[in-house]
Amino acid sequence: MGKFLAIILVGVVSWGLPGTPVQAQQGEPPETRIEDPWEPFNQAMFTFNLKLDEYVVHPVATAYDAVMPDAAQRGVQRFFTNLGVVERFANNVFQGKLAGAGQEVGRFLVNTTLGCAGFLDVAEPVFGWRESPEDFGQTLAVYGADNGPYLVLPFYGPSTVRDTAGLVVDGFLNPMNYLLPTWQVIAIKGGTSAASAVNYRSMNLDLFENVQRSAVDLYGAVQDGYIQRREKAIRE
Amino acid sequence: MNNFCSALWKTAGVLVLVFHATAWAAESPLEVIRGTIQRATAVLQNPTYQGKEKFQARIAKVREIVEPQFDVQEIAKRTLGTYWQERTEEERQQFIHLFTELVQKTYGGTLDRYNANVQFFYDQERIDGQFAEVDTRIFDPAQNKAFAVTYKLHQVNGKWLVYDVIAENVSMVRNYRNQFNRILSKSSYQDLVQTLQTKIKELDIAPPSTTTRNTSAG
Repeated sequence: MGKFLAIILVGVVSWGLPGTPVQAQQGEPPETRIEDPWEPFNQAMFTFNLKLDEYVVHPVATAYDAVMPDAAQRGVQRFFTNLGVVERFANNVFQGKLAGAGQEVGRFLVNTTLGCAGFLDVAEPVFGWRESPEDFGQTLAVYGADNGPYLVLPFYGPSTVRDTAGLVVDGFLNPMNYLLPTWQVIAIKGGTSAASAVNYRSMNLDLFENVQRSAVDLYGAVQDGYIQRREKAIRE
Repeated sequence: MNNFCSALWKTAGVLVLVFHATAWAAESPLEVIRGTIQRATAVLQNPTYQGKEKFQARIAKVREIVEPQFDVQEIAKRTLGTYWQERTEEERQQFIHLFTELVQKTYGGTLDRYNANVQFFYDQERIDGQFAEVDTRIFDPAQNKAFAVTYKLHQVNGKWLVYDVIAENVSMVRNYRNQFNRILSKSSYQDLVQTLQTKIKELDIAPPSTTTRNTSAG
């Protein structure tokens, strides 16, 4: 059922829902206006995520930040990043980035062993192998799929139809799916996602406050920030 | 006497040449950015301006240095996008004033987080006719993090002025444009003016050091 849904999503996205081009300003590349036909739903999810952050994630992350040294937090982030090697490797290959794919394999082998299960990054300083962060959403974009409508996912946050399809496909790339029962996979993925989110949030306690401070329309600011960062990731 | 006169003329000639050379040597975009940041950080490190009570004076001094380097009219025009055409001259001036206030109140507070350990790196500049981009990095040793900031400039009357700041891959102009477009597509220009005025008041009441969590989605 999940696989069927993924195929439908990918199909819809690949068919392409192009955005409205905005007149290019001098000295700037043309950009498309963000399609947001599901705004009421997205606003509701956005508010849910804000409340979740205010009442759960931020307090937990603050407490966590108080007890965990910064260096340890960075180590934990590297640990979780290390686990994402399969999806990064596969998407580097799909996009023809063979050097990046090779570096991901090298990084995983070196950092898991010499880097104490991924807590340390030995691969970059010693071998110069850098992370090559690619996901299936970016792969779809490279193959020509437009963003599709903006979509705010509960817990996860801002996304687009294309990037959500990407998340689903990346989920299937995880070897855990084929080794463990589904409920265990969900529990483990949920657990690691939550832990990784708390750690990430603790490293960025002020970040969202800055966005809230500077934004006149917070929903629009977050929406645009997400789209811009995705565009940059796809270009790289 | 002849020798003295000719020496005098030669000196005068050299002086004239030197004067013209320095007057005509336009600063490169990278130098403009570097110079501005150095002068601004000099104010923040100046003992005369230290302390909480000197906050307003500090901000005012930095604003004096930084604001002339920005093409505020151009930034305001770009953030309104297609809606700029419909505005009267009076409305445009009003908007420029409001937007400047907004940015100054928003980012003025973050200046207080600056400390002498923060390092600025000026990596490269790219010039394409009347347009330029300057890549910089801000490294904060306290957080062990580097932030990439790119400045986009264009030439106005021979001077390089900033018309966009891209912080960590997010263009400030584009971000504000999305926000203002969303507001203007659903309501009137007067509503936008009202929203800006309310926001400016809120920023006045809640200076950056207090943690007020505003969860209204807007």
